[in-house]
Amino acid sequence: MTRKQLFVPTVLLGLAIVLWFASDYMEIAVGVAFFLFGMHCLEEGFKVFTGGTLERVLRRSTDRLWKCLLFGTASTTVMQSSTLVSLITISFVSAEMIALAAGIGIIMGANIGTTTGAWLIAGLGLRVNIAAYAMPMLVFGVVMLMQNAKGVKGAGYLLMGAGFLFFGIHYMKEGFDTFQGAMDLSAYSMSGLAGVLMFTLIGMLMTVIMQSSHASLLIIITALAAGQVSYENALAMAIGANLGSAITTALGGLAANIGGRRLAAAHVIFNVISAAVAITFIGQLSWLVGWLASLIGIRPDDYLLQLALFHTIFNVLGVVILVPVVGVLASALERWIKPAPQSSEQPLYLYADALETPETAVTAVRKEVQHLFDNASGLIAHGISLKRSTIDSDASLQEAIAATRRHFPLDIEAAYEEKIKSLHSEIVGFIASARSQKNLEAVSDELYALRQASRDVAEAVKGMKHLHTNLVQYGLSENTAVRAKYDAIRLRLGKLLRQLRQLMQGETGELPALEVDAARVDLHKTSRKMLDELDELIRSHKLRPAIATSIMNDENYLMQIASNLLDAAQVVLAGGAVDLKDGLSLDRIELKELASQQEATGRPK
Amino acid sequence: MKLKKLLEKVEKFLSADPDTQASERKKVRELLRALKDKEKALRRQLEEIEDGEERESLRTRLDVVRAQRMKGVERIKTLRKKKAL
Repeated sequence: MTRKQLFVPTVLLGLAIVLWFASDYMEIAVGVAFFLFGMHCLEEGFKVFTGGTLERVLRRSTDRLWKCLLFGTASTTVMQSSTLVSLITISFVSAEMIALAAGIGIIMGANIGTTTGAWLIAGLGLRVNIAAYAMPMLVFGVVMLMQNAKGVKGAGYLLMGAGFLFFGIHYMKEGFDTFQGAMDLSAYSMSGLAGVLMFTLIGMLMTVIMQSSHASLLIIITALAAGQVSYENALAMAIGANLGSAITTALGGLAANIGGRRLAAAHVIFNVISAAVAITFIGQLSWLVGWLASLIGIRPDDYLLQLALFHTIFNVLGVVILVPVVGVLASALERWIKPAPQSSEQPLYLYADALETPETAVTAVRKEVQHLFDNASGLIAHGISLKRSTIDSDASLQEAIAATRRHFPLDIEAAYEEKIKSLHSEIVGFIASARSQKNLEAVSDELYALRQASRDVAEAVKGMKHLHTNLVQYGLSENTAVRAKYDAIRLRLGKLLRQLRQLMQGETGELPALEVDAARVDLHKTSRKMLDELDELIRSHKLRPAIATSIMNDENYLMQIASNLLDAAQVVLAGGAVDLKDGLSLDRIELKELASQQEATGRPK
Repeated sequence: MKLKKLLEKVEKFLSADPDTQASERKKVRELLRALKDKEKALRRQLEEIEDGEERESLRTRLDVVRAQRMKGVERIKTLRKKKAL
């Protein structure tokens, strides 16, 4: 059994022993459990409503740093879950839908937004009998949860979440009141630097175990209200809770791709710097809290609100310190954290967190298919003995082909297995997981189209396997007529690869459907022209019918490869409006008709 | 017979989604506008270019743009008919 597998049973056993022998902890534990379940319900509820709105707002809020900060603060304040905001931000940064610097801004804003939780608990939670509000919330929440309508169900989750949060706060309060009579933890309070460090560590551990800084703050505030911890130690625990939440994000970031790991690292750096400043200047900050508290009318003995104020101040301080260097931090992280060297068959964008929202799932798959397309283009270019750099440059393809003296050594079968099949399988597997998720039903058609595009790319490479065999055999033939025909096949494929590369990089304007259709018409025309020329060469005895048949077969393979690549490109380039762009694109019959019309008139109209 | 027609009308009325149809009409119109601009640009380029191969490629693109525009116009007509029903 691994250490990871042992962890949960050990925690459960320890918890069972503690609750069995010290029943005074029971109510506190129930409070924490309710609180955590409430947060889980809130996250589920908000996920129902994030089917577009949150993502749209997020994309629009990332062109300026102040907008990122404001978005992070506002969304976390409304949702009371920095975890959900961080998770979505990580997915967006990982899918390269927003820049790393924007992601850092949102995470910093979320750190400020999360401090509103402390104000709510200290200001309302412990002063009002909130359990009385929780009961109707749970009743209405459960009724709404049983409805089929998505929106009503989501609202039900939100009500239940708020209800359980309130119950959690109530039980924690009751628990500490009972606990106070049985045991006095304040006897263990420590002062000085050792005390600050010790309680910071306790706050951090609490957050790591519960995976929620909100829950830790609830415990800290209720313990402070019950007099179980001193004010000074509570401040240190609040610092620790912040550090703990960074560790939670860091663990989440490990599962993400390179963008997610960079963002998680930025979160850790931000929280560590904020904590270091807060620990170093804890005396000065306490004084500042006291001064500000008197300014805004908080009583000097109201330590609960003062703790909330401290929590806000040190998070804002962290933001103030780091805002001027966000750009520098982002570039430094991009330099420090680089993708591990790996062969190109590894998926770059498919990771579990991308399944969180429809937009990130589609973008991740689209980018991965593009990655597969890129690998296939490289392989096909080598198959026709052209360097990738030649395809990517403006150099004359005709000259490069004419100058070919020997074919590139290439085991196309092995390359297919290594660079195409494995990646195609990963894409198919990822789409299968995505299609089984309810929250991704709306993008099911798009994912299906992308799966077909991935298959088209794989088929194109399979076609290249057949073409390559004959190219090696006849491509550099002494017979100039044969060589000319194979050179023409290589040139057409090379031109298509170059054209597709320009399309993928957006170098040909905003109408990719036009370019793809034009490329198809060109292919039909050149194909007919080549077949006519072959007939003429056979008639004039310049080519044996057996060799002409091989060239015709290879022409057919070329058409298959080109058609598969264009089909895939059309889907990848559609960028979310598959139906509409397909609607105006010409179908196969219309394309053939257009090619025939142009031939019939002797020249294009 | 009257009842059947009435039921058909009610069904059409209930299944119509004016917002989706309006948004699709808008998108097709935008695309048509972009295609028209492209056609104008291609015509201008065609006047300037002498090279045979490049000219042929431009003419192919011009024909494709025209065919796509015709398809778009047909699409708009169908959507308008749907709206009228």
